[in-house]
Amino acid sequence: MNESDGDLEIAIRGERIALLPERAMLWIKHRTLLIADPHFGKAATFRAGGIPVPGGTTGNTITRINSLVSRTSATRLVFLGDLLHAKEGRSTGLFDEIATWRTENAALEIILVRGNHDKRAGDPPGELNIECVDAPAVMLPFVLAHYPGSHPNGYVFAGHVHPGVRLYGSGGLRERLPCFVFGPDHAILPAFGDFTGFAPFDPDEGTDVYAVAGDAIIALGPRRRTPPAG
Amino acid sequence: MTSLEPAAKWFQSHEWEAFEFQREVWRAYLNGESGLIHAATGTGKTLAAWWGPLLEQIGDAEQSRGALPLRVLWLTPLRALAGDTANALRLPVGDLHLPWTIETRTGDTPSSARARQTRRLPTALVTTPESLSLLLSRDNAAAQFNSLRLVVVDEWHELMGTKRGVLTQLALSRLRGICPRLRTWGLSATIGNLDEATRALLGRRSLTGSRVVRGAEPKTTVVDALIPEVIERFPWAGHLGTQMVRQVAEAIDEGQTSIVFTNTRSQTEIWYQALLAHRPDWAGSIALHHGSLDRKTRDWVEEGLRNATLRCVVATSSLDLGVDFSPVDRVLQIGSPKGIARLLQRAGRSGHQPGAASRVTCVPTHTLELIEVAAARDAMNAGVIESRYPVTRALDVLAQHVVTIAVGEGFRPVELLAEVRSTDAYAELPEDEWQWVLDFVSNGGESLKAYPEYSKVTVDETGRWHVQDRTIARRHRSSIGTIVSDAHIVVQYLRGRRLGSVEESFIARLTPGDRFVFSGIPLEFVRVRDMVAWVRRSSGGKGLIPRWMGSRLPLSGELAASIREKLGEAAKGEYNDPEMLALRPILEVQAKWSRIPSPDEFLIERVKTREGYHLFFYPFEGRLVHEGLAALFAWRIARLAPISFSMSSNDYGFELLSPDEASLDEALAAGLLDAENLVDDIPASLNATEMARRQFREIARVAGLVFPGYPRSGKTARQLQASSGLFFDVFSRYDPANMLLSQAHREVLERQLERTRLGHTLLRLSKVKVVVRDPKRTPPLAFPLLIDRTREKISSEKLVDRVKRMQRALERAAGKSA
Repeated sequence: MNESDGDLEIAIRGERIALLPERAMLWIKHRTLLIADPHFGKAATFRAGGIPVPGGTTGNTITRINSLVSRTSATRLVFLGDLLHAKEGRSTGLFDEIATWRTENAALEIILVRGNHDKRAGDPPGELNIECVDAPAVMLPFVLAHYPGSHPNGYVFAGHVHPGVRLYGSGGLRERLPCFVFGPDHAILPAFGDFTGFAPFDPDEGTDVYAVAGDAIIALGPRRRTPPAG
Repeated sequence: MTSLEPAAKWFQSHEWEAFEFQREVWRAYLNGESGLIHAATGTGKTLAAWWGPLLEQIGDAEQSRGALPLRVLWLTPLRALAGDTANALRLPVGDLHLPWTIETRTGDTPSSARARQTRRLPTALVTTPESLSLLLSRDNAAAQFNSLRLVVVDEWHELMGTKRGVLTQLALSRLRGICPRLRTWGLSATIGNLDEATRALLGRRSLTGSRVVRGAEPKTTVVDALIPEVIERFPWAGHLGTQMVRQVAEAIDEGQTSIVFTNTRSQTEIWYQALLAHRPDWAGSIALHHGSLDRKTRDWVEEGLRNATLRCVVATSSLDLGVDFSPVDRVLQIGSPKGIARLLQRAGRSGHQPGAASRVTCVPTHTLELIEVAAARDAMNAGVIESRYPVTRALDVLAQHVVTIAVGEGFRPVELLAEVRSTDAYAELPEDEWQWVLDFVSNGGESLKAYPEYSKVTVDETGRWHVQDRTIARRHRSSIGTIVSDAHIVVQYLRGRRLGSVEESFIARLTPGDRFVFSGIPLEFVRVRDMVAWVRRSSGGKGLIPRWMGSRLPLSGELAASIREKLGEAAKGEYNDPEMLALRPILEVQAKWSRIPSPDEFLIERVKTREGYHLFFYPFEGRLVHEGLAALFAWRIARLAPISFSMSSNDYGFELLSPDEASLDEALAAGLLDAENLVDDIPASLNATEMARRQFREIARVAGLVFPGYPRSGKTARQLQASSGLFFDVFSRYDPANMLLSQAHREVLERQLERTRLGHTLLRLSKVKVVVRDPKRTPPLAFPLLIDRTREKISSEKLVDRVKRMQRALERAAGKSA
């Protein structure tokens, strides 16, 4: 893998895990790339509903996946749910765009652990060769899921909440950034999609938070409750 | 010529006499004219506008039998006023047995009445601008309105400076398109720019004239203040909170019926609690009133004011407007009056007894506010009054209107453009902006190819533009309007009545069992289900007070100028008013530690605290101008060396706070105060803040990008929810030419930061003497800025560096606590 200065390596259950500023995660030993909540077709869903969202978000999301796969030399890609946003967003244009990329990366193994949006939006077309499974999918010592929470069989990697963190500095400075959240038995990944955004997330006491600050991951250490009021 | 006699007779039968201005309006109306009537509230503007059409009716009463079709549309800014207005209109109609039906139509109207109105509108309809737009979105709009003769726009001064005013202008242009000889009369308080107000109301091509009628002379008005008994010299004691409650209670005791006005809904709850705690025996005889309370509660409170069964009502601007509460003989204003016209309006709620003056007593919540009271009185005596500036070229409102008409009868672009350009707001609408709006509603934006699945408005084979999709039409109807607020959640007893609504974000912070105070009642939060926060009464004890979002009103420029004069007097040691005398100890501390700025000086203070390095600037120009100046100054200083600032602003000045010392001297030498290069520097400083991103919230809502949920909207609607911030980011990146983005920037510049005033301010500041002081402690003027926690930021450091700095601060804090 071409390491980037912004990557940050940590160890979970004895496994080496790299947190990537592209809002993705790499399980180094198995060259497995983990991505949560891409929400493909979200812009198209909006447009079908009469809300004008510009095109380009899908293309850019695919481009970002493509460069991640080549930079990390990943052999397997797992989506932790919400690959597709909604039924209304299932357009041929979208699937053509993904298919073009897929044929160029035919060797890559792709797995979707279904999330709540996928249940209603349906699985991607078979020709994209994406293996679709219900959560939880066990890959010891890890359990891959969409909803965060603990699982008896292993440490859980999940998505769904699109976590963000608020930072406060001296002189009244504040920042809001997407983040990774690592708890004692499960971790939550930031949302990957270009048209997803993130929401303030109040992590439990003692969880480790890693902020995505532009092109770098910054460890914020174990969280204590309550930032300064106001 | 129709006789005015029936009106005069009716006035006599009620032992009133018609004013000359009322006769003038009746004659003008009967003559086919339009115009604007301006006067203080309670001086007979309603009857001036109403008797014109009644006289017209009496003139041709012979031909009519049975209820007549729609003749008069009466627009009111607050739906809460619709019922009272309709009652006032019914009085002469009932006395004269005219075959007129008078009804209201607002968001509160029951569906049975709506259904009836859908078939046939009453002779006179009292409604809001939003409900009028909804009527225009029906496919029988032309047939429903073609008998209309008069539109009255009540409280036009409240509407004209807002996007609701633009919505009203557009609706009026459509009605004039249906009925070309339609007469329009506006009712307004007296403001500084009546010509502009009239033009905005009647449009640029009025076929019916534009007469401005001045109403009855206002009553005399007295402005005074409750002076805190002990004024501490030290500024941190300057924050009074509800300490003044005893004096307020005494003032209430002096009168028969009082209204205590506050500036925010939370303040209303807080003061109601404080008064009850101070005078438990008043339980049941005092009440509170604000816009988030349930309609029934508000009706009950208004009734209590009208028949003098309540001793006192604590209220927000929700009681600023509307019909009179004649028993009210005492008005108190908690906190800054903010403007001269506003203070006069509130004072005018009292003194309706014969021979009585209007009186408003100001209650400072911070001792420095005493300056504002003295300044407001001076300005009022000098006859100074604020202007209201109409909003122009708002593409979001135009896009909404275009879709509204497309949902209804449809339109041909050439014809609709002619109507739109007849309004004052869009008289100078450039061709490319109109084209952009048409593109926006039909294919999503300029680049057809980029929006493949998009469809909203479609063009049929005859060239008419329509909305075909019924889901889109329904969603558009549910989001008509320009009032932006957070999602609201109804507050309701587990088994019982609704209390009102609070913002979702407040409820989201509560966990079951938490206590909060709402509608003056201590409540325990049980759970949220189906957009309802279920509560039960809590057994006393204090609880949280909800905070509602809402724009904080800035100090008016006129009042700000008067404050500079008052400080100038103090700088010379002249203390003439009771308020200024009371403030003297504090101002003397200011003079000793730093300086009291004269009108020909610009004071800057440098203070170091634990928090960092503070720069305090005091232009005394009102908060909006200060926000703009703060961003501009921060940006200009940050250009010299990498630095991060957080900024806070109030009506007196602004603060730049940085972790490292900023070089003020170098910045001053490099042209910090230059009024040149503003065209480049202001947009650049703006981009560095999040102001445009925040302004986009309103635009996204009005233009239909973000819409409020509606009942039974279900999961499909939830899939279409995204925050306006996300839209802003996606547009900025993938469609930077989107005109709604440029509108956001323009609005921040022109409306939020008042660019013209900003330019004038810089010119003024560049001419006066800059006085820099380095006080050892925070002087009194700086203190309110120091404790303000709503901050903007600007930085020339890299994001990663900023975050690393915050990370180190976290580690230090952790080290200390370990």
